[in-house]
Amino acid sequence: MRVRTALLAAGTLIPALASGIMLRNLSRIGIHQGYAPEQPIAFSHRVHAGTNQIACLYCHSAARKSRHAGIPSASVCMNCHSLLEKQTVEIEKLKEAVQQKRPIVWIKIHNLPEFVYFNHSQHVLSGVACRKCHGAVETMDRVEQVSPLTMGWCLDCHRTHAGVPTSGFARAALNLRGQSRPVPGLDCGKCHY
Amino acid sequence: MDDHRSGDEVRLHWKSPEDLRNGSNRGVEPAFNDGDWLGGSTRRDFLTLAGFSLTAALAACRAPIEKAIPLLVGSDDITPGVASWYATTCGACPAGCGLLVKTRDGRPIKIEGNSSSALSGGGTCATGQAAVLSLYDDARLRSPMVHGKASSWSKADAVISNTLRGAFASRQNVVLLSRNIGSPSTNAVIEEWSQLNPHFRHVIYEPVSLSALREAQSECFGRAAVPHYRFDKARVIVSIDADFLGTWLSPVEFTRQYVRGRAAETRRSQHVQYESRFSVTGSNADLRVPIPPSSHGAVALGLLRRVAKAQGLDGCPEAPEPASALATLDAVAGLLLKHHGQSLIVSGSQDVAVQTVVATLNQFLGNIGTTVDLAQPSLQRRENDSAMAALLDDLDRGEIDVLLLHGVNPAYDHPDARRFLAGLKKVRFSVSTSDRMDETSRFADAVCPDHHFLESWGDAEPVQSSFSLAQPAIAPLFNTRSAVESLLSWSGRPLDHYAYLRDYWRRALFPLQKETADFDAFWDNTLREGVFVVSPTSDPVPIAFRGDWKRAAEAVAGLARASVASPHGNTYEVDLYESVALRDGRHANNPWLQELPDPISKMTWGNVAAVSPATAAALALADGDIVVLRSGGTATELPVLVQPGQDAQTISVAVGYGRIAAGKAGNDVGVNVFPLATMNNGSHRLWMPNVSIERTGRRAELATTQRHFSMEGRDIVQELSVADLSRSEPAPLAEHHLPSLWEPRPEGDHSWGMVIDLDSCTGCSACVIACQSENNVPVVGKQEVQRTREMHWIRIDRYYSGAPENPESVHQPMMCQHCGNAPCETVCPVLATTHSSDGLNQQIYNRCVGTRYCANNCPYKVRRFNWFQYAQNPSFDFHMDSALGRMVLNPDVTVRSRGVMEKCSLCVQRIQAGKVQALQEKRVVADGDIKTACQQACPAEAIVFGDLKDPHSRVSELRRDHRYYNVLDELGTRPNVGYLKKIRNRIETQELK
Amino acid sequence: MTLDSETIPPPGEIAIPLVPRPRWVEGDLPSFAQITADVARPLDVWPQKGWWVCTAIALAALAAGAGMVVYLFAHGIGVWGLNNEVGWAFDITNFVFWIGIGHAGTLISAILLLFRQRWRTSINRSAEAMTIFAVLCASLFPLIHMGRPWVFFFIMPYPNQRGPLWVNFRSPLVWDVVAINTYLTISLVFWYLGMIPDLATLRDRARVRWRRTLFALLSLGWNGSQRTWRRYEKVSTILAGLAAPLVISVHTIVSMDFATSLLPGWHATIFPPYFVAGAIYSGFGMVLTLLILTRKTMGLDRYITGAHLDAMAKVILLTGSIIGYAYLTEFFSAWYKGDLFERFTMISRATGPYAWCFWIMVLCNVVTPQLLWQKRVRTSVKALFIVSILVNIGMWFERFVIIVTSLHRTFLPSAWGMFTPTIVDIGILIGSFGLFFTCFLVFIRILPMVAIWEVKELVGEQTPRTFGFAGAAGDLENEMEGAHA
Repeated sequence: MRVRTALLAAGTLIPALASGIMLRNLSRIGIHQGYAPEQPIAFSHRVHAGTNQIACLYCHSAARKSRHAGIPSASVCMNCHSLLEKQTVEIEKLKEAVQQKRPIVWIKIHNLPEFVYFNHSQHVLSGVACRKCHGAVETMDRVEQVSPLTMGWCLDCHRTHAGVPTSGFARAALNLRGQSRPVPGLDCGKCHY
Repeated sequence: MDDHRSGDEVRLHWKSPEDLRNGSNRGVEPAFNDGDWLGGSTRRDFLTLAGFSLTAALAACRAPIEKAIPLLVGSDDITPGVASWYATTCGACPAGCGLLVKTRDGRPIKIEGNSSSALSGGGTCATGQAAVLSLYDDARLRSPMVHGKASSWSKADAVISNTLRGAFASRQNVVLLSRNIGSPSTNAVIEEWSQLNPHFRHVIYEPVSLSALREAQSECFGRAAVPHYRFDKARVIVSIDADFLGTWLSPVEFTRQYVRGRAAETRRSQHVQYESRFSVTGSNADLRVPIPPSSHGAVALGLLRRVAKAQGLDGCPEAPEPASALATLDAVAGLLLKHHGQSLIVSGSQDVAVQTVVATLNQFLGNIGTTVDLAQPSLQRRENDSAMAALLDDLDRGEIDVLLLHGVNPAYDHPDARRFLAGLKKVRFSVSTSDRMDETSRFADAVCPDHHFLESWGDAEPVQSSFSLAQPAIAPLFNTRSAVESLLSWSGRPLDHYAYLRDYWRRALFPLQKETADFDAFWDNTLREGVFVVSPTSDPVPIAFRGDWKRAAEAVAGLARASVASPHGNTYEVDLYESVALRDGRHANNPWLQELPDPISKMTWGNVAAVSPATAAALALADGDIVVLRSGGTATELPVLVQPGQDAQTISVAVGYGRIAAGKAGNDVGVNVFPLATMNNGSHRLWMPNVSIERTGRRAELATTQRHFSMEGRDIVQELSVADLSRSEPAPLAEHHLPSLWEPRPEGDHSWGMVIDLDSCTGCSACVIACQSENNVPVVGKQEVQRTREMHWIRIDRYYSGAPENPESVHQPMMCQHCGNAPCETVCPVLATTHSSDGLNQQIYNRCVGTRYCANNCPYKVRRFNWFQYAQNPSFDFHMDSALGRMVLNPDVTVRSRGVMEKCSLCVQRIQAGKVQALQEKRVVADGDIKTACQQACPAEAIVFGDLKDPHSRVSELRRDHRYYNVLDELGTRPNVGYLKKIRNRIETQELK
Repeated sequence: MTLDSETIPPPGEIAIPLVPRPRWVEGDLPSFAQITADVARPLDVWPQKGWWVCTAIALAALAAGAGMVVYLFAHGIGVWGLNNEVGWAFDITNFVFWIGIGHAGTLISAILLLFRQRWRTSINRSAEAMTIFAVLCASLFPLIHMGRPWVFFFIMPYPNQRGPLWVNFRSPLVWDVVAINTYLTISLVFWYLGMIPDLATLRDRARVRWRRTLFALLSLGWNGSQRTWRRYEKVSTILAGLAAPLVISVHTIVSMDFATSLLPGWHATIFPPYFVAGAIYSGFGMVLTLLILTRKTMGLDRYITGAHLDAMAKVILLTGSIIGYAYLTEFFSAWYKGDLFERFTMISRATGPYAWCFWIMVLCNVVTPQLLWQKRVRTSVKALFIVSILVNIGMWFERFVIIVTSLHRTFLPSAWGMFTPTIVDIGILIGSFGLFFTCFLVFIRILPMVAIWEVKELVGEQTPRTFGFAGAAGDLENEMEGAHA
């Protein structure tokens, strides 16, 4: 009898556990939170943005006027490094690249699917701080992806920004009371076209 | 930018627009990367997936490593993701319209009209819109060719310069055979050549020639130039087979003028069209009369006789007039006389005598100087058929030693192509500047590929003293060279085109203006504006009429009598015409144009023999029956299309098809009918009498996009008569007609809408291509069109009404109506199509599962389904399957994949861009900031887009217009897209008699 | 139904018929052992040539269809004849057709059970089996018609990382998914539950070891005790009660795919009843076809008697007449409503390019059933077989006509087109028949296609021996088995 119950318990628990794990992992597919690849040049944001207090937009100037924040061209780096005496292996790599007219192949960290049209300038100009999505970059030696970059994550911010409750139930209640109002930031066509 | 010269490198530059998001690298290494599947990210994902067994199945979920390659040296004018615009001049046809070219990350991706051009305004034509795709044509030559082998410029130059030097030294005949060259600077180079070498001769050749028109002007007014016509100043327009809204001379400019002339509701211009086929122009006419080509002269003469009589001039010969036209001639002549000096007669006839009669008419009616400008004539067309004929004879006799071919392809488009080729073989050395190995350049000794006009410097003078500049929008993709540079270097003056052009403008044009004394300022300004107009200093001297009109009239009368005398029996006249899309065939390898439905017949991918319903009945012909046209020696097989409004005596066929060496898209599409054309006393004649037609019994399926042409009494296109116009009260807004069960949808800050004026729309189809190029609409090919699976987001519905012999017709651009209560939205199971807060009906491709329920439930049938994978699929190898062809794609619009529904988005990416720009400039979006692609392209300015929430926006005003209505209003879909009723202004011929 | 006019005797009483009860079992009443033996025979003996031939054909069709589906998944929906104008044709036609077929089963097992229709006993098992196979075929088509089955899960509401993003509960397609899954589940449960006593029987008479263990597992340790039987009766009645509404709801919802759209020819309030009637009509058509084929070949003609066929014919007659009436109503309302578009659609349905489909439909669904007024036709097996085939053809064409003729000429004449099926369209249709018959042929080999216990029950009623109504059959059965051993 006892054996039987044990078997039964096992027979139900183990599949349940397995499927639980499976579902969790399935739901994590395509989310690369914490992705911090090695870069061709070990550029340290901690040194530049942290210690030396260089503003994000000094290098990533495109963020103000373009969809892409852009990665500074080597010439931008040389603006300072042609003057600075300090030499390290990494800086050598940079100068070498410039002398050989060979562009540096960085590894892109924050990747959105191709059907998502995120616009940096729009967010920067509406006063969204860089760190809101990219985290405390000025403390990172090697930059990593801090946010999940899922659609839900985007929408949460857009909702709070527009004063729409983030809880699904609260929203449903609003709908039922016919009090939900349109929020441009929540249109599908805002990012998908 | 010089590191671009090698084609391969550059082809590697951009693989797909998505890859470009990381910014373009000028030069060395590919900016894109397929992704390294063994990189760190796999480990990460493996851990993610660890714990369950589906890892293998889910391998697709591993993210490839994306590379980001910044510019090595930063540049001010290239910010990744930000478009820059360059003003230039269109080289797609001799009209030379002003353009703005949109480049993203260094690639031209869209062509738009340059609104600062006084001639073409902001408008473009379908061909112009499509020209950007020809830039990325796989068939283009990668390097110069000498004796059929790839070579280098230095080698080619050495060979050619030596040959030329030798030829000039030994007084041999050197001929430059070119198409119309609109560029004054280039013409200056050629001028120098002929001055330096007495044995050098420049022959201008166009397959569809306006030579007769020019000659007639020289006979009548002593100046061999095509007049500059002003349709906007005319109140009565009579066109004898001139398709001036479609293909004739300068359609974009004329459309703009024409529509403006009609927009004036009080003093609306009236338009009479005598023509053999049903042309776009004819479809807009207030009175349209089908006549066979042989009676063009008779009609012109008939008018002249009546006008002359009324003005007390006698001696105008009688001639038999076509029965169909007879009833109208008195009325039309009456109208013309009524509006002295405010009328305009144009003719597409290739007979000098007929053109002389027409010129005389304009003279007698006092149009010279008002609607016909000879003081500042058009310089767009300067071809000379008799010179071409002479050249052919010389070639026969082997008297031409060196032949330079520039932009011409006589081996394909000359009526006597065989003879030309034979002559070409006798030439000692021949050089072509063709951009591909086409029918002619295949036989040239050397081919020195010219730039595409988007890669090249240049200038133009379409109409005397209004100039425009052309500047490169991209560094040359391949190892090509501008023809001007070639000419310069062969004449021993190796000079950069840019340097030469700038120098020419300093010498020739800078002095013409007074505004600025600083040439650099002048140059930069002109470069930015694209155009430069010299205001006439003195009043134009009155031009004396010295034409011997009676002789011409006699000649015409003679022809008319002859054609009546010769028994028609069961033979017909064939009239060849340029199709709106392919024109004379030089754009045959452009898949966008191949798939562009003809504005009238809605044919794509091929040409047909258009016969009148009467003829069809007589010969028991149906659409798709293959017939043989026999004329003299030639026999041509074509499928039949029964075309309402076609003249009963005439069979019309479009030229430009049947290329054999155009490229993968253009080869063997349709039939080449140029061989049917004839030379007729020194001028190309694109029609010929006594053609017999017989059925073969075989059938071919036509690729038409519209198969039913009657409105079935449904209230789809609504019309008003001029009389109603004054009467009718403002109609209540569509929103408030009908009750609805839906509670009103809460609306956001904007409500984007569109109004299309059916009275202005001529059906020219520029919007279709504009939309295709803006929104990455795929080309699906002939077979798929036959299955009615074309993907165009905007289609132009064309309905006939009245008798099939000569019906009235209407054009209705139809795209997603962005319904307030959209039937598609309720039925989509996955919320892939929803309503945005600003009134758009948005389609989310990445959510769509492809049930097609939305398309079934769409009353306007404007939704398009991706039946196959159209991009990067070898079975749809048009342009999206080649790395080069994909460079034209708009990186701001997703390239849809298989199994996904799509439709007009009202250019949501442009709306987005407009909003962001407003944000960047710290202001609100203003009316007119945002223009949809179709609106921007429309030469008739028939499409207006804007915010319905703003009561003062243009679109809101039009929505309050009493002509406003919604299609299928009774369904309660409450569209944001609406129409203005067409105005009918029929010319009552009887009453005027 | 006039069949069962007299009252049902309360359990445990002797049932002495006042009027001669219709004989649902032919010949002199068989012994219970006889019944078991007759029904279970096909399970014991090696199948004859006929069965192998049929199965081979069915499998071939199935293989062809499967091949076509793979080809479609590889290339896209474009391999079908669909186009911009006609977005649905064979795919949804087949879907609705099979769902319709799937209706007889539950009707017979649930509603007829509630109405205590005795004649259902010997046909309900196979009818239910047929239902399940038909619904399986049907549920394939929504998957296939998207061309990308791997995104099907978008239609399922599940918590996700997208905001979350749910499905559009307004869309009839979502209702479909729910309705069909419910229907499939309930039918399965019902079918299985109905089989349990028979599985027990098979277990007891199984000679081979693995068979015994298999049936032991399947019969969930059934012991024909009074308690078991009473509970069993309760459960099946409750389930019947649950299932009965489904018969109505499923096809009602399917009909709403069309009724809730605004397309003339689809947008009609009459659709739900009309579709349900049609479904039952086609369902019984298929049951008739199958039973006429199997009763002879399986030697069950004494359990599936002419009286059964006659009863089913009457149901077909009734539902067929309802459909005919519905067609008339459609035309009438189109005319009476005066809506230009709807009038046009109806006229072009009867006179347009697809008129031939329309007239086939009328012939099969309106004219044919009327023949069944004559007893002569109802009692001739040949005639009934032909009728049943015509019914199936007619109902397929009905769906085709509704879908395609309404789509091919809609509001804007500029967007009028035609649909011509490709080889893939036809191949997949054939494939679905292949799947259906394969399943059915396997079924009749491995499971009793007649409900043994119910027949025994029936016979029990008809024998002038005293028995408790429900329980007795079970006890007796065990007793007989004992005798066997």
